Amino acid sequence: MNGILNWILWLPILGVLGVLATPSAKEGVIRVVTLVTTFITLVLSVVLYLHFDNAATGMQFVVKVPWIEQFHINYHLGIDGITMLMTFLNALLFFICTLSSWTVDKNVKAYFSLLLMLQSTVFGVFFALDFFLFYVYWEVMLLPMFFLIGIWGGENREYAAIKFFLYTFFGSIFMLVGIIALYYATGKGPDSFNILALQGGQFTQLTVDLFGQTVSFEHLFFWFMFLGFAIKVPVFPFHTWLPHAHVQAPTAVSVILAGVLLKMGTYGFLRIAFPIFPMAAVQSSTIIAVLGLISVIYGAFCAMAQDDVKKLVAYSSVSHMGFVMLGLAAMTVQGMNGAVLQMFNHGTSTAMMFLLIGILYERSHHRWIVKPDGSKGYGGLYTKLPKYTTVFIIGMFASLGLPGLSGFISEALIFLGIYQRFTTITVIAVVGLLIGAAYLLWMFKRMFFGEVNPETEEYDDMNAREIFYMIPLCLCVIVFGIFPSPLLNVMKVSVGQLVDLLAKF
Amino acid sequence: MIQQLLGFLSYYIPEVICVVLMTTLLVAEASVKDEFGARKKIYIYALSVLGLTLIPLGYNLGREPVTIFHNAVTIDPFSTFIKVIMVLGTMGSIYLSYQSKEIYRNLKSEFAIMAVGVLIGGMLLASANNLLTVYLGLETLSILSYVMSSFKRDESTSTEAGLKYALYGGLSAGIALFGMSHIYGALGTIQFVDILPKLQALQGMSLYLVMASFVLFFVGLGYKISLFPFHMWTPDVYQGSPTPVTSFFAIVPKMAGLAAIVRVSYVFFGTEGALSVSWMGLILVISAMTMTVGNVTAIGQSSVKRLLAFSSIGHVGMMILGVVVMNEVGVRAILFYGMAYLFMTLIAFYITSIVSDHYGTDTHDVFKGLVYKNPLMAILMAAVLFSLAGMPPFSGFVAKFNIFSVIIEKKLYGIALVAAINSVIGLYYYLKLAKTMIFGEKESDEKIEGFTCANQTVIVALFVPVLFLGIFWDRLMALSTDATIFIK
Repeated sequence: MNGILNWILWLPILGVLGVLATPSAKEGVIRVVTLVTTFITLVLSVVLYLHFDNAATGMQFVVKVPWIEQFHINYHLGIDGITMLMTFLNALLFFICTLSSWTVDKNVKAYFSLLLMLQSTVFGVFFALDFFLFYVYWEVMLLPMFFLIGIWGGENREYAAIKFFLYTFFGSIFMLVGIIALYYATGKGPDSFNILALQGGQFTQLTVDLFGQTVSFEHLFFWFMFLGFAIKVPVFPFHTWLPHAHVQAPTAVSVILAGVLLKMGTYGFLRIAFPIFPMAAVQSSTIIAVLGLISVIYGAFCAMAQDDVKKLVAYSSVSHMGFVMLGLAAMTVQGMNGAVLQMFNHGTSTAMMFLLIGILYERSHHRWIVKPDGSKGYGGLYTKLPKYTTVFIIGMFASLGLPGLSGFISEALIFLGIYQRFTTITVIAVVGLLIGAAYLLWMFKRMFFGEVNPETEEYDDMNAREIFYMIPLCLCVIVFGIFPSPLLNVMKVSVGQLVDLLAKF
Repeated sequence: MIQQLLGFLSYYIPEVICVVLMTTLLVAEASVKDEFGARKKIYIYALSVLGLTLIPLGYNLGREPVTIFHNAVTIDPFSTFIKVIMVLGTMGSIYLSYQSKEIYRNLKSEFAIMAVGVLIGGMLLASANNLLTVYLGLETLSILSYVMSSFKRDESTSTEAGLKYALYGGLSAGIALFGMSHIYGALGTIQFVDILPKLQALQGMSLYLVMASFVLFFVGLGYKISLFPFHMWTPDVYQGSPTPVTSFFAIVPKMAGLAAIVRVSYVFFGTEGALSVSWMGLILVISAMTMTVGNVTAIGQSSVKRLLAFSSIGHVGMMILGVVVMNEVGVRAILFYGMAYLFMTLIAFYITSIVSDHYGTDTHDVFKGLVYKNPLMAILMAAVLFSLAGMPPFSGFVAKFNIFSVIIEKKLYGIALVAAINSVIGLYYYLKLAKTMIFGEKESDEKIEGFTCANQTVIVALFVPVLFLGIFWDRLMALSTDATIFIK
């Protein structure tokens, strides 16, 4: 079992080679190769889950090979409970995205090889326990995304792709400075790039001289890392790239972006920013909570104002990721568990929403709830598309946190956690839930109820392929809404360790 | 005496080979008739002899450092490493010159002669161990460069480039010589080894005088590698010169000048003290300005050659940060950067040259939709642009990582932030070019004739180190660590 992480990480790259070896005219073969690759990856991640020891502390399935010995950089992989969930989510969403991309017909070969490359790099980010390796994957991930948005995106794709790239790069270059500073702060020893060895708050006493001011090492570099991760999450005020990227990206890429890539930001907080700089994290938790709160409320209001349904869901992601930030800022067992659970649940529910919008877009070729000229974009879909409406209802209610569906449990846990520390913030954040329900229901009313829009008469309901790939997500949303313990049990120990560490400061 | 001379020569084989090559090329060029076949043989001859110099260079890399010719020249792993970069750069440019339409057929072997001449000057500059050798190297390098930049004789831009280069070059060489004469006047020696103790003994006014003369000396070198504020000539010369010449200028004279600056800085200001601090401050400010000016100005450029010119200014600003820290780690970072920069620059100029040859201009527009015309080349070009921007998994990232790590080791967080912001700005204009090539609808799929099988193979071969050094960089790192030994 030791090499399984290697397999999961490199299998998509093998798939890329397979796709590249196929002649570009044989589009069907390319799709099947991609599908088989992502399916095997999914199976492997389930195998990983079955072999995962829920009670064990620390990392499992560790692989450690020296890479650049002069700098003590290792090819160091391993997973804990938090990563386990993300691995499964990543494998699942890429499998589904391959199916949903079946209709892509522009440059099929390039599209699927980039998609597989993206999957591998995302796994790399989650598995890496070496800071250098983490950074490399974090950056390389941008390359396939840049091309996926830029080539297969909507009308304004070039702007969106460049904005996405520049924003993330801006954040991560600060992270790079932080990584190197940590390397020297630990005395260039053999563990200087080892994320695990850096954890535990060893840097509380250090200071640095910046432009003539003495500042705390821990605070300075916590904020450097914060910038890198917060842009990815995205936390207000760094969220402005997100609506553009989402609206312009093709459906599958939106799903991946919202479903997994945003989680890399919060994962960065869990794995890096919080455990390495616990003192700064605890002292800054109010600021993080306030930023999270602003994301929740502001994202929800922005979503309400949108006429473009994809933009609406994009802003709802800002709002929902704000809940994750609130859970993180709580730094209590419930809050953290809720945050990690919300990362998973938002991954499944928002993926559903984006997939559903993609399905509708394939039929209508627009995404306007209300068109710019004031006429209705949709209307009465409920009578024409019963299957579609059913799935949409499940996705939407999971998204707004209806009890019995997955979103409710994670949000409830987050509120339980955050209430213990920030009462006022909790009270205001609950309003965010209310606005969330409001904009989703209002959108639903405008699209699905009312008079049947003549334009929508000809739309077909979901076909077998579309139903097939929605089923696993519906199951996730319903099953984990009633019975979340398979997820909670996996992450309990890992989250507990982090909370214990933070409690010392 | 003879034996001593022979002993010296055993260190000096690469330079000797180059001189022989240059002379034989001159004879060969004069004796062939104007037929392309013969010129092709000449160029193959030039390339293979240059390749031959890599053997003694490689041998010198492992040898103990020595000074030869009565302290005039020092052969140490550091200068040898720089020479390897320069020889590779020259070879790359000569190959390109034979493919390029911008170098007229009857001038192709002249290009090789000039390039080898500049290379000899560059080697001298990289090894210079007294002020006179520095000047000699600088002038050999410069005078031939002026000729090279006006190679397209019948085009006004090229002649303008030559004239501008010569005027600016002459002025800055004069300033450098003025500074050197003051150093000699104040200290009574031109030998680097003798200057250091005398420098440390200086006090009061004469110290300021000598510092001022060092700054003047620095102007001459800074001009050569186009540091701010002596960079004004660069864009015009780079744009006006034929592309193979530009690619040559972006590598050989830059590396030579950089080597001289590194040596001067370490020999004279490498020891802790007030002098060292003020020199360091000077270079720190200059490097921050060079980076920022280079990168910010590059944003608005519509000519790709001009864009690469400004980006090369930005890269030199980054490299020169390795000088600021005044230790071996800094030199190592510079050497690694130089090697990474070599391959990236060559590929960028190869593709630019071939595309602009096809369309007769080098604006952004001719790159539009390159991915449909030649997918492989467009992807490689994009990868090189990402590498230049410092994206993993390419060598440009490792180079940048090294520079960042040396400045952060010295806790110079301020300049690290400046460099960080600069690499974001850099990314922006590289992305814009990558976007032009790859995004956008298919307009035509006409074949660009310059992308012959041979050319594509060469470009792919040059790309191998760009990728390889970005992933398995420990060997080159070890090599450049060993090459940081040099004589003080």
